[in-house]
Amino acid sequence: MTTRILRHRKPFSVIGWLIAIAALAACQQPPPDGAPEKTGAAAYYDGRNIRWIIPYSPGGGYDEYARLISPYLEKHTGARVDVYNLPGAGGMRGANELYNAPKSGLTIGVINGSALVMNELAGMRGADYKIAEFEYIGRVVADRRVLVVSLDSGYTSIEAIMNADERIKIGATGLGGSTYVDAVIVNEAFDMNLDIIHGFDSSSVVRQAMLRGNIVGTWGSWGSAVDAVVEGRHKVVLQSGRERLAELPDVPTAFELVDRMANPDRTQAILSAWESLHEVGRPVAAPPGVPLERLEFLRAAFDGAMHEPELLAKAKSSGRPLNFASAEEMRRVITESTSMPDDIRALFVRAIKGEL
Amino acid sequence: MGIVEGLVSGLLQAISLDVFPYLFIGSVFGLLIGVIPGLSGHFAMAMVIPFLYSMTPEAGIAFLLGAHATVAQGGGLTAILFSTPGTGQNAATLLDGPPMRRNGLGAMAAGAALTSCFLGATFGAVTLALLLPGLQQIVLFFGPPEIFVLAFLALTFVAVLGKKDLTRSLIAALAGLLLAMIGLDNVTNQERFTFGLLELRDGLELVPVILGLFAVAEVFELWVSGGSLAGEKSPALTARATQRQIFQGVWAAFKHWWLVLRCSAIGVTMGLIPGLGSAPAAFVAYGHAQQTSKTKETFGKGNIEGVIGSESANDAVEGGALASTIAFGVPGSSSMAILLGALFILGQETGPNMVTDHVDVVFIMIFTIIIGNFIGMVGGMFLVNPLSRATGIRGGLLVPVLITVIFTGAFAVQRSWFDIGITLLFGVLGYLMKELNYSRAAMLIGFVLGFAVEKNLYLAIQLSGPYFILDPIPLTLAMITIAFLAYNVWAIVTHRRETRGHAD
Repeated sequence: MTTRILRHRKPFSVIGWLIAIAALAACQQPPPDGAPEKTGAAAYYDGRNIRWIIPYSPGGGYDEYARLISPYLEKHTGARVDVYNLPGAGGMRGANELYNAPKSGLTIGVINGSALVMNELAGMRGADYKIAEFEYIGRVVADRRVLVVSLDSGYTSIEAIMNADERIKIGATGLGGSTYVDAVIVNEAFDMNLDIIHGFDSSSVVRQAMLRGNIVGTWGSWGSAVDAVVEGRHKVVLQSGRERLAELPDVPTAFELVDRMANPDRTQAILSAWESLHEVGRPVAAPPGVPLERLEFLRAAFDGAMHEPELLAKAKSSGRPLNFASAEEMRRVITESTSMPDDIRALFVRAIKGEL
Repeated sequence: MGIVEGLVSGLLQAISLDVFPYLFIGSVFGLLIGVIPGLSGHFAMAMVIPFLYSMTPEAGIAFLLGAHATVAQGGGLTAILFSTPGTGQNAATLLDGPPMRRNGLGAMAAGAALTSCFLGATFGAVTLALLLPGLQQIVLFFGPPEIFVLAFLALTFVAVLGKKDLTRSLIAALAGLLLAMIGLDNVTNQERFTFGLLELRDGLELVPVILGLFAVAEVFELWVSGGSLAGEKSPALTARATQRQIFQGVWAAFKHWWLVLRCSAIGVTMGLIPGLGSAPAAFVAYGHAQQTSKTKETFGKGNIEGVIGSESANDAVEGGALASTIAFGVPGSSSMAILLGALFILGQETGPNMVTDHVDVVFIMIFTIIIGNFIGMVGGMFLVNPLSRATGIRGGLLVPVLITVIFTGAFAVQRSWFDIGITLLFGVLGYLMKELNYSRAAMLIGFVLGFAVEKNLYLAIQLSGPYFILDPIPLTLAMITIAFLAYNVWAIVTHRRETRGHAD
């Protein structure tokens, strides 16, 4: 009877064995012959496992980036990189977990920089991390936000939208989410009277509403908008950033419109704060307190990985832009983003809380 | 490239030596993932993604979709044989699958489930192919007002599920609606019913709830009652008898072809609507099967039509979901979102250009679904015998194993310890509901559709004003809902009168 039971539990045990073998193989990889003896942090990481926390589910943009980059990070650290998805609370669960992770340097994570900065500024419940205390390793990508409109709507330039007779409907996901904050902040900066309709489940549902003609447009990242733009269904009418993106030479940045305003100083101040949030982008960080030697090693390895020609080519062909920034630059960006003037900060807090 | 040309080219590519091996491996992998409770289609797909970088687009698509296509088949086996839904979309199979097993017809139910899955998926894929020319208009048909009314229509199926005890079913369904409200409200940015717990901010995760309500509750029952899953009535079957039953099941699925067709159509339609998912589709199909059956009374006691109805719908959904994904690059489900990301990695454009320029790729998808499900059906048949033998093991041995697998599955979704607690809590709730005769299916439908009803009502009002219900399409759908509800209430009332008459 016993043998029979064992035999018939095969489907489970086969998988179990595979996992066990894979784990063993991972642990017992011998160092390659003839390689120079590694010392210091390099020796520490060699053959160990790095846990790379991704604060969103498998299959999303964050996950894709991690899976794209991790082989090169493995190459440059000599460690095995496990992509570890910890979705929840709008990216805060992963960030909290990272903040409280062991200080061995074997746990790193990518974070949703601008959202985390804003949540901390607004004192959101659940923001149990200190954004300034993370040890930054580098940045994967900065956010380039764009306002896209559907071509069928008839509004094909920001002027047409600003001068429209009707209240133009702009879609957004959750109240206080990034698509919502972008919309209300720009609305406020340019005294526009757009009707911002939030409550869509995801950005793909927003896009469907654009196709149906229920709404005119939406804010989003350039990476998620590029498809429909290339296909000629959507058009970008406004972009964030101080310089025009190479791919969008004909689209004005929000900063270019400042001079038209009656009170350009205030508009400029709002946009600068907004821009500094986008610059935080998606940094890779380690918890506070990791030994400096290991941090420096990780920073050098990440720098090397992000400049691998093969990775750059893959990122380009799969439409995933990379904007590397060093740890030093990240510290500057974070300081800038967290030190807004009080009135501007109050404005952003109201936007995040959905009171604007 | 014309459609016929694309069809031929797609078929030839799908069965070519460069693609087919991946399709085969993907399908078997998906089947095994499906068997494990808690691990679902998008898990299988996410695990496949790292391999895609080095593949040709054709092989990558076949590998990925193959893994996704067979998950529901594997999950159906677990649902029938262990009373544990292998994936969320198999929850409806629990209503009639396990009772059949207790009647000693487990292998027959499994055969019928595998075959109806295959037929449903084929129907979905063929529908997708037929819809290709007018795909865009069809997908655009569903906006917030239409989805709101449709979700409401689906909710009214609760009435059918609970014909025997309408009051208790309504209580369960409304409790399900309340459960759906837990978490941060997208509209007001307020946390509702979270009791200050950060873990509840995103609401309850579907998989732990389903595993708790159905799987853990079943294990509790097994634990309390002793014995084995197979039940007293059925001595272990020989391999040959099992085989014979499987083929009886296959035959039964073909014999009920009209039912398969109707339930597949329900699945495809619900798949076209982004955000509804496949679990409600299966329940709606189940309700429809019961409604139209000549042997309504035996539903829930092991009626093969219940198994066929729900299993044919849950795989047909994918054809519909794929349609909106291909037409606009708007994913209809979380799995489709992963597919979209993968297509990006593989360098494939989605949206209208895909249908006009790369129609052969679309046909590779279509054939992958059909061939993959066929592999899943045949492969699944080989699993029935070993798995059904395990159901003969006495509870004392099986309960710990099942509990371990179930809780691991619940944990794996989000790597969350909290979800293990949720699973346990809903396990107790599910057991009590079962003992006290409250419909767990009604609660699940309420839970799943609660989101869709609430959010789309808000959006519909924002976009079209309070009188959106008077627009032609929502109005028609609302009329159907009312007529359907009225018919059911009438049926219940007359049914009651009749039984009272008998009592006198």
